[in-house]
Amino acid sequence: MKSYDVVVIGGGVMGTSTAYQLAKRGYSVAIIEQNDIASGTASHTDGATLISDKQPGIDVLQGYHSVELYRKLSQEFSYDIEFSSCGFMYVCETDQEMAAAAEYAAKVRAQGFEMRVIDPKEMCEREKYLAKDLKGGLWTESDGLVNPYKVCFGFVEEARKYGLDVYTKHEVKGIKLGPNNQVEAVITDRGTFLTKKVVNACGVWAPFIGNMVGLNIPIEPRKGMLLVTEKAETIAHTEVLEFGYWLAKFFADFKRPVSELVEKHNVCLNIETTHSGNTIVGGCRLFRGYDLKSEYEIMQAIAERAIRFFPVLKDMNCIRTFSGLRPFCLDHLPIVSGVDEVPGFYIAAGHEGDGIALAPITGLLIAQIIAGEKTEFDATELGWNRFKGKDMAKLAEHPH
Amino acid sequence: MEKKFDDDMLVCRCEEITVGEIRQAIAEGALDVVGVKRRTRAGMGLCQGKTCEKMVQQILAQELCIGPEQTGSSSIRPPVRPITFGTLAGGIK
Repeated sequence: MKSYDVVVIGGGVMGTSTAYQLAKRGYSVAIIEQNDIASGTASHTDGATLISDKQPGIDVLQGYHSVELYRKLSQEFSYDIEFSSCGFMYVCETDQEMAAAAEYAAKVRAQGFEMRVIDPKEMCEREKYLAKDLKGGLWTESDGLVNPYKVCFGFVEEARKYGLDVYTKHEVKGIKLGPNNQVEAVITDRGTFLTKKVVNACGVWAPFIGNMVGLNIPIEPRKGMLLVTEKAETIAHTEVLEFGYWLAKFFADFKRPVSELVEKHNVCLNIETTHSGNTIVGGCRLFRGYDLKSEYEIMQAIAERAIRFFPVLKDMNCIRTFSGLRPFCLDHLPIVSGVDEVPGFYIAAGHEGDGIALAPITGLLIAQIIAGEKTEFDATELGWNRFKGKDMAKLAEHPH
Repeated sequence: MEKKFDDDMLVCRCEEITVGEIRQAIAEGALDVVGVKRRTRAGMGLCQGKTCEKMVQQILAQELCIGPEQTGSSSIRPPVRPITFGTLAGGIK
Protein backbone atom coordinates (compact mmCIF):
# COMPACT_ATOMS: atom_id res chain seq x y z
CA MET A 1 0.00 0.00 0.00
CA LYS A 2 1.24 3.49 -0.84
CA SER A 3 2.03 5.83 2.01
CA TYR A 4 2.55 9.61 2.08
CA ASP A 5 3.12 12.32 4.69
CA VAL A 6 0.34 14.35 3.08
CA VAL A 7 -2.32 13.51 0.50
CA VAL A 8 -3.78 16.50 -1.32
CA ILE A 9 -7.19 15.82 -2.82
CA GLY A 10 -7.79 17.95 -5.90
CA GLY A 11 -5.42 18.84 -8.75
CA GLY A 12 -6.68 22.37 -9.24
CA VAL A 13 -4.95 25.59 -8.41
CA MET A 14 -5.32 25.17 -4.60
CA GLY A 15 -4.19 21.55 -4.57
CA THR A 16 -1.18 22.06 -6.83
CA SER A 17 -0.07 25.18 -4.94
CA THR A 18 -0.40 23.41 -1.58
CA ALA A 19 1.41 20.31 -2.88
CA TYR A 20 4.25 22.48 -4.20
CA GLN A 21 4.76 24.23 -0.86
CA LEU A 22 4.65 20.94 1.05
CA ALA A 23 6.96 19.05 -1.32
CA LYS A 24 9.40 21.95 -1.15
CA ARG A 25 9.46 21.54 2.65
CA GLY A 26 10.53 17.92 2.29
CA TYR A 27 7.21 16.16 2.86
CA SER A 28 6.31 13.16 0.73
CA VAL A 29 3.20 14.36 -1.07
CA ALA A 30 0.63 12.89 -3.45
CA ILE A 31 -2.06 14.71 -5.38
CA ILE A 32 -5.17 12.63 -5.95
CA GLU A 33 -7.36 14.01 -8.71
CA GLN A 34 -10.57 12.54 -10.10
CA ASN A 35 -9.92 13.79 -13.64
CA ASP A 36 -6.78 15.65 -14.77
CA ILE A 37 -4.65 18.49 -13.43
CA ALA A 38 -6.49 21.80 -13.95
CA SER A 39 -9.60 20.10 -15.30
CA GLY A 40 -12.15 21.78 -13.02
CA THR A 41 -12.56 25.41 -12.10
CA ALA A 42 -8.89 26.29 -12.74
CA SER A 43 -9.29 25.83 -16.48
CA HIS A 44 -12.72 27.44 -16.64
CA THR A 45 -11.89 30.96 -15.58
CA ASP A 46 -9.83 34.03 -16.37
CA GLY A 47 -6.41 34.82 -14.95
CA ALA A 48 -6.97 37.94 -12.87
CA THR A 49 -4.59 38.17 -9.92
CA LEU A 50 -5.85 41.17 -8.03
CA ILE A 51 -6.05 42.77 -4.65
CA SER A 52 -8.58 45.15 -6.12
CA ASP A 53 -11.68 42.99 -6.06
CA LYS A 54 -11.37 42.18 -2.37
CA GLN A 55 -13.01 43.57 0.75
CA PRO A 56 -10.75 45.77 2.89
CA GLY A 57 -9.33 43.68 5.73
CA ILE A 58 -8.04 40.10 5.60
CA ASP A 59 -9.31 39.72 2.04
CA VAL A 60 -7.10 42.49 0.65
CA LEU A 61 -4.23 41.37 2.88
CA GLN A 62 -4.23 37.82 1.50
CA GLY A 63 -4.64 39.21 -2.03
CA TYR A 64 -1.55 41.37 -1.57
CA HIS A 65 0.58 38.49 -0.27
CA SER A 66 -0.61 36.27 -3.09
CA VAL A 67 0.14 38.69 -5.93
CA GLU A 68 3.61 39.28 -4.46
CA LEU A 69 4.14 35.50 -4.33
CA TYR A 70 3.18 35.21 -8.00
CA ARG A 71 5.78 37.84 -8.81
CA LYS A 72 8.42 35.75 -7.01
CA LEU A 73 7.29 32.31 -8.26
CA SER A 74 7.13 33.46 -11.87
CA GLN A 75 10.84 34.32 -11.59
CA GLU A 76 11.76 31.04 -9.90
CA PHE A 77 9.75 28.59 -12.01
CA SER A 78 11.24 27.08 -15.14
CA TYR A 79 7.64 26.64 -16.39
CA ASP A 80 6.11 29.83 -17.84
CA ILE A 81 2.89 30.69 -15.98
CA GLU A 82 2.43 33.83 -18.13
CA PHE A 83 2.45 36.21 -15.18
CA SER A 84 2.06 39.78 -16.31
CA SER A 85 2.10 42.77 -14.02
CA CYS A 86 -0.19 44.73 -16.30
CA GLY A 87 -2.08 46.70 -13.66
CA PHE A 88 -5.76 46.81 -13.01
CA MET A 89 -8.51 49.30 -13.75
CA TYR A 90 -12.00 49.68 -12.35
CA VAL A 91 -14.26 51.69 -14.62
CA CYS A 92 -17.29 53.63 -13.39
CA GLU A 93 -20.32 54.44 -15.47
CA THR A 94 -22.16 56.73 -13.06
CA ASP A 95 -21.35 59.40 -10.45
CA GLN A 96 -22.87 57.15 -7.79
CA GLU A 97 -20.44 54.36 -8.69
CA MET A 98 -17.56 56.84 -8.76
CA ALA A 99 -18.39 58.02 -5.23
CA ALA A 100 -18.56 54.42 -3.94
CA ALA A 101 -15.30 53.63 -5.75
CA ALA A 102 -13.45 56.58 -4.21
CA GLU A 103 -14.65 55.56 -0.76
CA TYR A 104 -13.53 51.96 -1.35
CA ALA A 105 -10.09 53.05 -2.62
CA ALA A 106 -9.61 55.22 0.47
CA LYS A 107 -10.28 52.20 2.70
CA VAL A 108 -7.79 50.08 0.76
CA ARG A 109 -5.19 52.87 0.98
CA ALA A 110 -5.82 53.22 4.72
CA GLN A 111 -4.73 49.60 5.00
CA GLY A 112 -1.43 50.53 3.34
CA PHE A 113 -2.11 49.29 -0.20
CA GLU A 114 -1.98 51.31 -3.33
CA MET A 115 -5.14 52.12 -5.27
CA ARG A 116 -5.94 55.54 -6.68
CA VAL A 117 -8.74 57.37 -8.43
CA ILE A 118 -8.05 58.13 -12.08
CA ASP A 119 -9.85 60.42 -14.51
CA PRO A 120 -11.33 59.47 -17.90
CA LYS A 121 -8.31 60.99 -19.67
CA GLU A 122 -5.82 58.69 -17.93
CA MET A 123 -8.17 55.75 -18.43
CA CYS A 124 -8.26 56.29 -22.18
CA GLU A 125 -4.48 56.73 -22.30
CA ARG A 126 -4.08 53.34 -20.66
CA GLU A 127 -6.89 51.70 -22.63
CA LYS A 128 -7.23 53.18 -26.10
CA TYR A 129 -10.34 51.14 -26.96
CA LEU A 130 -12.25 52.09 -23.81
CA ALA A 131 -15.54 54.04 -24.22
CA LYS A 132 -14.94 57.78 -23.93
CA ASP A 133 -18.01 58.68 -21.83
CA LEU A 134 -17.10 57.00 -18.52
CA LYS A 135 -16.98 58.97 -15.26
CA GLY A 136 -13.64 57.75 -13.99
CA GLY A 137 -12.10 54.76 -12.35
CA LEU A 138 -9.57 53.22 -9.99
CA TRP A 139 -6.04 52.11 -10.79
CA THR A 140 -3.90 49.48 -9.05
CA GLU A 141 -0.43 49.31 -10.51
CA SER A 142 0.65 46.07 -8.81
CA ASP A 143 -2.21 43.85 -10.00
CA GLY A 144 -1.80 41.48 -12.88
CA LEU A 145 -2.64 38.35 -14.79
CA VAL A 146 -1.57 34.73 -15.04
CA ASN A 147 -2.61 31.83 -17.21
CA PRO A 148 -4.76 29.91 -14.72
CA TYR A 149 -4.23 26.36 -15.96
CA LYS A 150 -0.55 26.94 -16.64
CA VAL A 151 -0.21 27.97 -13.00
CA CYS A 152 -1.41 24.46 -12.07
CA PHE A 153 0.94 22.75 -14.52
CA GLY A 154 3.75 25.01 -13.27
CA PHE A 155 3.17 24.09 -9.61
CA VAL A 156 3.12 20.38 -10.55
CA GLU A 157 6.28 20.54 -12.67
CA GLU A 158 8.17 22.44 -9.95
CA ALA A 159 6.85 20.18 -7.17
CA ARG A 160 7.91 17.07 -9.10
CA LYS A 161 11.49 18.29 -8.68
CA TYR A 162 10.91 17.77 -4.93
CA GLY A 163 9.35 14.33 -5.42
CA LEU A 164 5.60 15.04 -5.79
CA ASP A 165 3.54 12.10 -7.09
CA VAL A 166 0.39 12.79 -9.10
CA TYR A 167 -2.48 10.31 -9.40
CA THR A 168 -4.95 11.52 -12.00
CA LYS A 169 -8.17 9.62 -12.81
CA HIS A 170 -8.33 8.53 -9.16
CA GLU A 171 -11.67 9.13 -7.51
CA VAL A 172 -11.76 9.44 -3.74
CA LYS A 173 -14.38 7.10 -2.28
CA GLY A 174 -13.78 7.59 1.41
CA ILE A 175 -11.45 8.75 4.16
CA LYS A 176 -10.56 6.28 6.90
CA LEU A 177 -10.53 7.76 10.38
CA GLY A 178 -8.99 6.29 13.52
CA PRO A 179 -10.45 5.95 17.05
CA ASN A 180 -9.82 9.63 17.84
CA ASN A 181 -11.42 10.71 14.57
CA GLN A 182 -7.92 11.27 13.14
CA VAL A 183 -7.11 10.75 9.45
CA GLU A 184 -5.55 7.36 8.62
CA ALA A 185 -6.02 6.76 4.90
CA VAL A 186 -7.62 7.95 1.69
CA ILE A 187 -9.58 5.31 -0.18
CA THR A 188 -9.87 5.69 -3.97
CA ASP A 189 -11.39 3.61 -6.75
CA ARG A 190 -7.84 2.54 -7.62
CA GLY A 191 -6.38 1.76 -4.22
CA THR A 192 -5.85 3.07 -0.70
CA PHE A 193 -3.26 5.68 0.29
CA LEU A 194 -2.03 5.63 3.88
CA THR A 195 -1.52 9.11 5.34
CA LYS A 196 -2.03 11.06 8.54
CA LYS A 197 -2.77 14.32 6.77
CA VAL A 198 -5.28 15.14 4.06
CA VAL A 199 -5.86 18.49 2.38
CA ASN A 200 -9.32 18.97 0.90
CA ALA A 201 -8.59 21.26 -2.04
CA CYS A 202 -11.65 20.35 -4.07
CA GLY A 203 -13.24 23.75 -4.57
CA VAL A 204 -16.91 23.31 -5.48
CA TRP A 205 -16.58 19.60 -4.78
CA ALA A 206 -15.09 20.17 -1.28
CA PRO A 207 -18.45 19.50 0.46
CA PHE A 208 -18.47 15.91 -0.90
CA ILE A 209 -15.05 15.24 0.63
CA GLY A 210 -16.18 17.02 3.82
CA ASN A 211 -19.17 14.69 4.08
CA MET A 212 -16.79 11.72 4.15
CA VAL A 213 -15.48 12.91 7.54
CA GLY A 214 -18.81 14.22 8.83
CA LEU A 215 -18.31 17.90 8.01
CA ASN A 216 -20.90 20.19 6.47
CA ILE A 217 -18.73 22.55 4.39
CA PRO A 218 -20.77 25.63 3.39
CA ILE A 219 -19.60 25.92 -0.22
CA GLU A 220 -21.87 26.09 -3.27
CA PRO A 221 -21.06 26.22 -6.98
CA ARG A 222 -21.59 29.67 -8.48
CA LYS A 223 -21.42 29.70 -12.24
CA GLY A 224 -19.46 32.24 -14.24
CA MET A 225 -19.62 32.51 -18.04
CA LEU A 226 -16.95 33.91 -20.34
CA LEU A 227 -16.70 34.73 -24.05
CA VAL A 228 -13.47 34.33 -26.04
CA THR A 229 -12.61 36.51 -29.02
CA GLU A 230 -10.57 35.57 -32.06
CA LYS A 231 -6.90 36.56 -31.93
CA ALA A 232 -6.29 40.20 -32.70
CA GLU A 233 -4.19 43.07 -31.48
CA THR A 234 -4.38 43.66 -27.74
CA ILE A 235 -7.85 44.97 -26.91
CA ALA A 236 -7.35 45.31 -23.15
CA HIS A 237 -3.84 46.34 -22.09
CA THR A 238 -4.67 45.97 -18.42
CA GLU A 239 -7.18 43.89 -16.50
CA VAL A 240 -10.45 45.85 -16.55
CA LEU A 241 -13.58 45.41 -14.46
CA GLU A 242 -16.62 47.61 -14.17
CA PHE A 243 -16.93 48.82 -10.59
CA GLY A 244 -20.50 47.58 -10.59
CA TYR A 245 -18.96 44.11 -10.50
CA TRP A 246 -17.50 44.75 -7.06
CA LEU A 247 -20.71 46.40 -5.84
CA ALA A 248 -22.80 43.53 -7.16
CA LYS A 249 -20.45 41.01 -5.56
CA PHE A 250 -20.93 42.35 -2.06
CA PHE A 251 -24.21 44.28 -2.20
CA ALA A 252 -27.08 42.33 -3.69
CA ASP A 253 -29.43 45.36 -3.80
CA PHE A 254 -27.12 47.59 -5.85
CA LYS A 255 -28.75 48.77 -9.14
CA ARG A 256 -27.10 49.99 -12.35
CA PRO A 257 -28.53 51.81 -15.38
CA VAL A 258 -28.52 48.71 -17.59
CA SER A 259 -30.84 46.85 -19.95
CA GLU A 260 -33.36 44.35 -18.66
CA LEU A 261 -31.28 41.46 -19.98
CA VAL A 262 -28.07 42.63 -18.28
CA GLU A 263 -29.97 43.30 -15.06
CA LYS A 264 -31.76 39.94 -15.17
CA HIS A 265 -28.50 37.99 -15.27
CA ASN A 266 -26.47 40.43 -13.18
CA VAL A 267 -23.84 40.68 -15.93
CA CYS A 268 -20.81 42.89 -15.21
CA LEU A 269 -17.89 43.53 -17.51
CA ASN A 270 -14.53 41.97 -16.91
CA ILE A 271 -12.02 41.80 -19.72
CA GLU A 272 -8.43 40.74 -20.29
CA THR A 273 -6.28 39.98 -23.32
CA THR A 274 -4.23 36.84 -22.80
CA HIS A 275 -0.68 36.03 -23.95
CA SER A 276 -2.13 34.16 -26.90
CA GLY A 277 -3.83 37.32 -28.21
CA ASN A 278 -7.37 36.20 -27.47
CA THR A 279 -9.47 38.46 -25.33
CA ILE A 280 -11.61 36.92 -22.58
CA VAL A 281 -14.79 38.77 -21.68
CA GLY A 282 -17.24 38.18 -18.85
CA GLY A 283 -18.98 37.85 -16.64
CA CYS A 284 -21.74 36.79 -14.33
CA ARG A 285 -22.34 34.96 -11.07
CA LEU A 286 -25.21 32.51 -11.12
CA PHE A 287 -26.49 29.74 -8.91
CA ARG A 288 -27.21 26.84 -11.28
CA GLY A 289 -26.00 23.83 -9.31
CA TYR A 290 -23.22 22.02 -11.16
CA ASP A 291 -24.51 22.86 -14.65
CA LEU A 292 -21.85 24.19 -17.05
CA LYS A 293 -23.99 24.94 -20.11
CA SER A 294 -23.32 28.14 -22.05
CA GLU A 295 -26.61 30.02 -21.76
CA TYR A 296 -27.62 31.97 -24.82
CA GLU A 297 -29.27 34.94 -23.04
CA ILE A 298 -26.20 35.38 -20.90
CA MET A 299 -23.92 35.26 -23.94
CA GLN A 300 -26.06 38.06 -25.38
CA ALA A 301 -25.94 40.09 -22.18
CA ILE A 302 -22.16 39.73 -21.82
CA ALA A 303 -21.65 40.78 -25.46
CA GLU A 304 -23.92 43.80 -24.93
CA ARG A 305 -22.13 44.86 -21.75
CA ALA A 306 -18.70 44.35 -23.33
CA ILE A 307 -19.59 46.58 -26.29
CA ARG A 308 -20.82 49.27 -23.86
CA PHE A 309 -17.29 49.58 -22.45
CA PHE A 310 -15.21 48.43 -25.46
CA PRO A 311 -17.18 49.46 -28.58
CA VAL A 312 -14.47 47.97 -30.83
CA LEU A 313 -15.71 44.50 -29.87
CA LYS A 314 -18.91 44.87 -31.89
CA ASP A 315 -17.09 43.90 -35.09
CA MET A 316 -14.88 41.24 -33.49
CA ASN A 317 -15.70 37.57 -33.52
CA CYS A 318 -16.58 35.44 -30.53
CA ILE A 319 -15.08 31.98 -31.18
CA ARG A 320 -16.06 30.22 -27.97
CA THR A 321 -17.94 30.53 -24.73
CA PHE A 322 -17.36 28.58 -21.56
CA SER A 323 -18.52 28.41 -17.96
CA GLY A 324 -16.80 27.65 -14.71
CA LEU A 325 -18.02 26.81 -11.22
CA ARG A 326 -16.73 29.19 -8.57
CA PRO A 327 -16.70 27.79 -5.03
CA PHE A 328 -18.94 30.31 -3.29
CA CYS A 329 -18.47 30.27 0.47
CA LEU A 330 -21.34 31.61 2.51
CA ASP A 331 -19.42 34.42 4.22
CA HIS A 332 -17.37 35.42 1.13
CA LEU A 333 -14.09 34.22 2.62
CA PRO A 334 -12.20 31.03 1.76
CA ILE A 335 -11.65 28.28 4.31
CA VAL A 336 -7.92 27.85 4.87
CA SER A 337 -7.19 25.83 8.01
CA GLY A 338 -7.11 22.55 9.85
CA VAL A 339 -10.20 21.08 11.47
CA ASP A 340 -9.92 20.47 15.24
CA GLU A 341 -12.61 17.79 15.33
CA VAL A 342 -10.89 15.72 12.60
CA PRO A 343 -7.14 15.77 13.37
CA GLY A 344 -5.09 15.66 10.18
CA PHE A 345 -7.89 17.07 7.99
CA TYR A 346 -7.26 20.45 6.33
CA ILE A 347 -9.44 22.56 4.06
CA ALA A 348 -8.21 24.89 1.29
CA ALA A 349 -11.39 25.78 -0.58
CA GLY A 350 -14.17 28.31 -1.01
CA HIS A 351 -12.40 31.14 -2.86
CA GLU A 352 -15.30 31.88 -5.22
CA GLY A 353 -13.90 34.02 -8.06
CA ASP A 354 -10.56 34.66 -6.35
CA GLY A 355 -9.04 31.21 -6.43
CA ILE A 356 -6.47 31.89 -9.11
CA ALA A 357 -5.40 35.10 -7.39
CA LEU A 358 -5.26 33.54 -3.92
CA ALA A 359 -3.78 30.10 -4.68
CA PRO A 360 -0.16 31.01 -3.88
CA ILE A 361 -0.93 32.39 -0.43
CA THR A 362 -3.46 29.65 0.37
CA GLY A 363 -0.94 26.93 -0.50
CA LEU A 364 1.70 28.66 1.60
CA LEU A 365 -0.62 29.10 4.61
CA ILE A 366 -1.71 25.45 4.58
CA ALA A 367 1.91 24.28 4.30
CA GLN A 368 2.90 26.59 7.17
CA ILE A 369 -0.01 25.33 9.31
CA ILE A 370 0.90 21.68 8.60
CA ALA A 371 4.60 22.30 9.25
CA GLY A 372 3.82 24.16 12.47
CA GLU A 373 5.58 27.28 11.16
CA LYS A 374 4.50 30.82 11.94
CA THR A 375 1.97 31.76 9.26
CA GLU A 376 2.64 34.64 6.86
CA PHE A 377 0.02 36.68 8.72
CA ASP A 378 -2.69 35.91 11.30
CA ALA A 379 -5.12 33.77 9.30
CA THR A 380 -7.57 33.03 12.12
CA GLU A 381 -10.38 34.72 10.16
CA LEU A 382 -9.98 32.09 7.42
CA GLY A 383 -10.28 29.24 9.90
CA TRP A 384 -12.88 26.49 10.07
CA ASN A 385 -13.61 27.54 13.66
CA ARG A 386 -15.45 30.62 12.42
CA PHE A 387 -18.44 28.39 11.63
CA LYS A 388 -18.58 26.91 15.12
CA GLY A 389 -21.92 27.57 16.78
CA LYS A 390 -23.19 29.35 13.64
CA ASP A 391 -26.57 28.52 12.21
CA MET A 392 -25.51 27.20 8.79
CA ALA A 393 -29.07 27.30 7.45
CA LYS A 394 -29.37 30.98 8.34
CA LEU A 395 -25.95 31.66 6.82
CA ALA A 396 -27.16 29.94 3.67
CA GLU A 397 -29.96 32.47 3.09
CA HIS A 398 -28.69 34.33 0.04
CA PRO A 399 -30.36 35.48 -3.17
CA HIS A 400 -30.45 32.67 -5.73
CA MET B 1 -3.01 4.26 -37.76
CA GLU B 2 0.10 2.10 -37.82
CA LYS B 3 2.25 4.79 -39.39
CA LYS B 4 3.99 7.03 -36.82
CA PHE B 5 3.83 10.73 -37.63
CA ASP B 6 6.99 12.84 -37.78
CA ASP B 7 7.54 15.10 -34.77
CA ASP B 8 7.78 18.27 -36.86
CA MET B 9 4.48 17.73 -38.66
CA LEU B 10 1.92 20.47 -38.01
CA VAL B 11 -1.32 19.21 -36.42
CA CYS B 12 -3.19 22.31 -35.25
CA ARG B 13 -2.92 24.90 -37.99
CA CYS B 14 -4.65 27.69 -36.07
CA GLU B 15 -2.21 27.54 -33.15
CA GLU B 16 0.73 25.99 -35.07
CA ILE B 17 1.16 22.96 -32.82
CA THR B 18 3.27 20.01 -34.00
CA VAL B 19 3.09 16.26 -33.43
CA GLY B 20 6.19 16.54 -31.23
CA GLU B 21 4.56 19.11 -28.94
CA ILE B 22 1.51 16.89 -28.58
CA ARG B 23 3.69 13.87 -27.73
CA GLN B 24 5.46 16.01 -25.14
CA ALA B 25 2.10 16.97 -23.57
CA ILE B 26 1.14 13.30 -23.38
CA ALA B 27 4.48 12.52 -21.72
CA GLU B 28 3.69 15.26 -19.18
CA GLY B 29 0.40 13.61 -18.28
CA ALA B 30 -2.24 14.53 -20.88
CA LEU B 31 -4.74 11.68 -21.05
CA ASP B 32 -7.22 12.91 -23.64
CA VAL B 33 -8.02 15.58 -26.22
CA VAL B 34 -8.85 18.18 -23.56
CA GLY B 35 -5.65 17.43 -21.65
CA VAL B 36 -3.61 17.93 -24.83
CA LYS B 37 -5.52 21.12 -25.58
CA ARG B 38 -4.74 22.69 -22.20
CA ARG B 39 -1.09 21.77 -22.36
CA THR B 40 -0.45 22.81 -25.98
CA ARG B 41 -3.37 25.01 -27.20
CA ALA B 42 -4.09 22.49 -29.99
CA GLY B 43 -7.78 23.07 -30.74
CA MET B 44 -8.03 26.48 -29.08
CA GLY B 45 -7.79 28.50 -32.28
CA LEU B 46 -10.24 29.97 -34.73
CA CYS B 47 -11.58 26.60 -35.92
CA GLN B 48 -11.87 25.26 -32.36
CA GLY B 49 -10.36 21.88 -33.23
CA LYS B 50 -12.60 21.11 -36.17
CA THR B 51 -9.51 20.37 -38.27
CA CYS B 52 -7.06 18.82 -35.82
CA GLU B 53 -9.13 16.93 -33.26
CA LYS B 54 -9.19 13.64 -35.21
CA MET B 55 -5.44 13.72 -35.55
CA VAL B 56 -4.88 14.57 -31.88
CA GLN B 57 -7.06 11.54 -31.10
CA GLN B 58 -4.87 9.36 -33.35
CA ILE B 59 -1.67 10.52 -31.67
CA LEU B 60 -3.19 9.91 -28.22
CA ALA B 61 -4.29 6.42 -29.27
CA GLN B 62 -0.79 5.62 -30.56
CA GLU B 63 1.13 7.05 -27.61
CA LEU B 64 -1.10 5.66 -24.85
CA CYS B 65 -1.99 2.40 -26.64
CA ILE B 66 -5.71 3.04 -26.17
CA GLY B 67 -8.69 2.87 -28.49
CA PRO B 68 -9.73 6.07 -30.31
CA GLU B 69 -12.99 6.06 -28.34
CA GLN B 70 -10.99 6.48 -25.11
CA THR B 71 -9.26 9.64 -26.31
CA GLY B 72 -12.27 11.85 -25.66
CA SER B 73 -13.21 14.98 -27.52
CA SER B 74 -13.32 18.69 -26.85
CA SER B 75 -16.44 19.98 -25.07
CA ILE B 76 -18.91 21.39 -27.56
CA ARG B 77 -19.62 25.03 -26.78
CA PRO B 78 -21.42 27.73 -28.70
CA PRO B 79 -21.02 29.49 -31.04
CA VAL B 80 -20.79 26.78 -33.71
CA ARG B 81 -18.86 29.17 -35.91
CA PRO B 82 -17.40 32.63 -35.19
CA ILE B 83 -20.03 35.34 -34.72
CA THR B 84 -19.44 39.04 -34.05
CA PHE B 85 -20.17 40.47 -30.61
CA GLY B 86 -22.48 42.96 -32.32
CA THR B 87 -24.61 40.21 -33.84
CA LEU B 88 -24.56 38.24 -30.63
CA ALA B 89 -25.72 41.25 -28.63
CA GLY B 90 -28.80 41.46 -30.81
CA GLY B 91 -27.61 43.39 -33.81
CA ILE B 92 -25.62 46.30 -32.36
CA LYS B 93 -24.31 48.14 -35.42
